[in-house]
Amino acid sequence: MSTVRTEQQQQEPLDLIRFQLDEFVLVKLRGAREMKGRLQGYDSHCNMVLSEAQEFIYSEGDEEPTVKKTEMVFVRGDSVILISPIAE
Amino acid sequence: MLFFSFFKTLVDQEVTVELKNDIEIKGTLKSVDQYLNLKLDNISCVNESKYPHLQSVKNLFIRGSTVRYVHMSPNSVDCTLLQDASRREAMVQSAK
Amino acid sequence: MSEAEIESSKTNPSTFLSDIIGSSVTVKLHNGVEYSGNLQSIDGYMNIVLDEGKEVVGNTISRTYGDVFIRGNNVLYISEA
Repeated sequence: MSTVRTEQQQQEPLDLIRFQLDEFVLVKLRGAREMKGRLQGYDSHCNMVLSEAQEFIYSEGDEEPTVKKTEMVFVRGDSVILISPIAE
Repeated sequence: MLFFSFFKTLVDQEVTVELKNDIEIKGTLKSVDQYLNLKLDNISCVNESKYPHLQSVKNLFIRGSTVRYVHMSPNSVDCTLLQDASRREAMVQSAK
Repeated sequence: MSEAEIESSKTNPSTFLSDIIGSSVTVKLHNGVEYSGNLQSIDGYMNIVLDEGKEVVGNTISRTYGDVFIRGNNVLYISEA
């Protein structure tokens, strides 16, 4: 891995995800999908396990997304576009 | 390697795998490797009417890269352990 | 900055990236969506964290994020705004 060094403390992007463990996150995925859930685990590929999760599927034409609830789910990292903490 | 270990703890449990082509397969997880390829036994297709071509298939090898989600029972996951393992993995990764 | 350092920041992409940490940037993804915000951190995979991130689809802001992590493989380019 090539490294980009900052002058201040060594903050790397994946630290943001680490700080979200046990917190609710929004994950935007390929295929017009989003997943909200409590982050239970992740790795550097952005593979993740979310609990108390809800999946939102957006389809063209429909204003409202299809919502699917799931208690515990593994999300494969290669589908991930972005991850953001959910402000509560 | 975190999720390789994670899936090893799920062996012999019932899981539902959703593939990137929208097919959902329920079955017993029999084996996993480092690429998160999965072997399932006693499979059934959740959306069978949409995808009837798996009706006669009893077990499957799924290439990891085709997986979108794996749903599992919350009882089969130790959340505290998984969170701690993730923090430890992050330490190892950033030391590289 | 010494002359050598200025030279390296001109020629080396990764020094460009570390130099623009803290500044306001625009990140364009392969799917055409753009994100603008303050660059909090970036790594060698082009994984990016923005704070005050705004999601721009076409010309309209569709969403805002306090903090947002963008997985590097989706990144087309990052530019200093």
